[in-house]
Amino acid sequence: MKKIIISEDDFQKFREFFYRKVGISFENDKRYFVDKRLIERIELTGANDFSDYFIMLRFEASGQELQQLINVMTINETYFFREEYQFKCLVNSILDEITRNKKDTSPIRIWCVPSSSGEEAYSIAIYLLEHWPGMAKWDVEIISSDIDSVMIERAQRGHYSSRSVQYLPATLLTKYFKPSGDGYQICEDLRSSVEFTCVNLMDSVEMRAYRKFDVIFCRNLLIYFDDLSRRLAAETFFDALNPNGFVCLGYSESMSRISSLFRVRKFPEAIVYQKPGVDL
Amino acid sequence: MPFIKKNNPTIDSYEHEHSRDLNELAIQLADGNPVIRRGAALNLAQHQDASEILVDRLKQDNDTSVRDAILTTLISLGDSFAVIGLVECLRSEDAALRNEVVDAMKQLPEKVAPIMNSLLVDSNSDVRIFAVNILESLRHLQVETWLDRVIEDDPHINVCATAVDLLGEVSTSTSRAALIHLRSRFPDEPYICFAVNLALKRIGEDKGT
Repeated sequence: MKKIIISEDDFQKFREFFYRKVGISFENDKRYFVDKRLIERIELTGANDFSDYFIMLRFEASGQELQQLINVMTINETYFFREEYQFKCLVNSILDEITRNKKDTSPIRIWCVPSSSGEEAYSIAIYLLEHWPGMAKWDVEIISSDIDSVMIERAQRGHYSSRSVQYLPATLLTKYFKPSGDGYQICEDLRSSVEFTCVNLMDSVEMRAYRKFDVIFCRNLLIYFDDLSRRLAAETFFDALNPNGFVCLGYSESMSRISSLFRVRKFPEAIVYQKPGVDL
Repeated sequence: MPFIKKNNPTIDSYEHEHSRDLNELAIQLADGNPVIRRGAALNLAQHQDASEILVDRLKQDNDTSVRDAILTTLISLGDSFAVIGLVECLRSEDAALRNEVVDAMKQLPEKVAPIMNSLLVDSNSDVRIFAVNILESLRHLQVETWLDRVIEDDPHINVCATAVDLLGEVSTSTSRAALIHLRSRFPDEPYICFAVNLALKRIGEDKGT
């Protein structure tokens, strides 16, 4: 079989294309990671070389290969109750403020992006059921989105490894999961409580369907974006949120360094960001 | 469980109304509703020739969220009209706008670099201070050289004070001579002496030299 090589020019061309489509810019130190996955896709699609593959990628009307490529290029490491302090903040501080200010009884809408394999969205559902008394009074809608369609399928299946559930208290593991094969299957009630969708945050047309959220969890995604893509993501979140809605970012991320659209809110459990009310 | 699920998120009819046409977007950019103006500003990113319209709106819009969207699109377009327009806004009386523009220009290192020399010798000392503020997080190899030149030559103490503050964070031993020269230019200004000594200390030079 012919050995496929990704030249410096190929890498630059691919990097620019991927950035324009997805908003993720690979630096030179990611070269090995990118080359390896590109070569895998070139071989799997039967393309002769990078040029052949790149032409197909750019002009394929269905976008299926681009989706496959996104699936292999994005990172999907997560686990249940990761950065739990924010879930505590959600049930102890954020939701009470939201419900206090709500002028109707419409559902509270929570958006998790990126979804990865669903651990975060299900963790929120479990946390609400276990720790938020407001569940007796309010309906909650959880939507969890990712650019990786394989991850969305995995999230919908709800089957997890022991490693993925290792930080869940044993009582909750017993209550919401059943041992299944070499891992755990999440219960049907929880599985059906979250809507999973495949989206590209950088696609402004797709994003128009994502509106009227009260809380957005976007943790450990923006660190992979460059300055402009982070700024565009902030614009997307601003438009997706109701006035006074909240954004929760990852531990090492700060909205203040990205955009002045949001105000910083310091709660006892966490620092989060809030869309101002009617007047900014 | 009181979780509810709808089918896939759908686009509201209002959201469908965003135009893609340059002229229509230009009209929407002046709409009374800031939500429509924001949408227009973000959609104008598809038009390479939209910078002038956006800059005109930026100068007069009072809504922070609209201005933010305009700046995001100007950063994305990043052409000469965008950069010239941003520089014009540095002269605005509106302090909030100036700060927003400084932040935006920090995100355009390759576009701002060619005009940095002229910004740093602008006749308006406030503009020179804003130019130094832009250097604060401009990812460009020449930042230290530019700052050295400011503290060597700029006659205004506030411009030099802003630059030496920043040099305290980014300087290397190449700034040593410029720092010492600055101290000798303003020997009776305690803050300048303090900031120079601090910068020298951070780069491991003897402050008494």
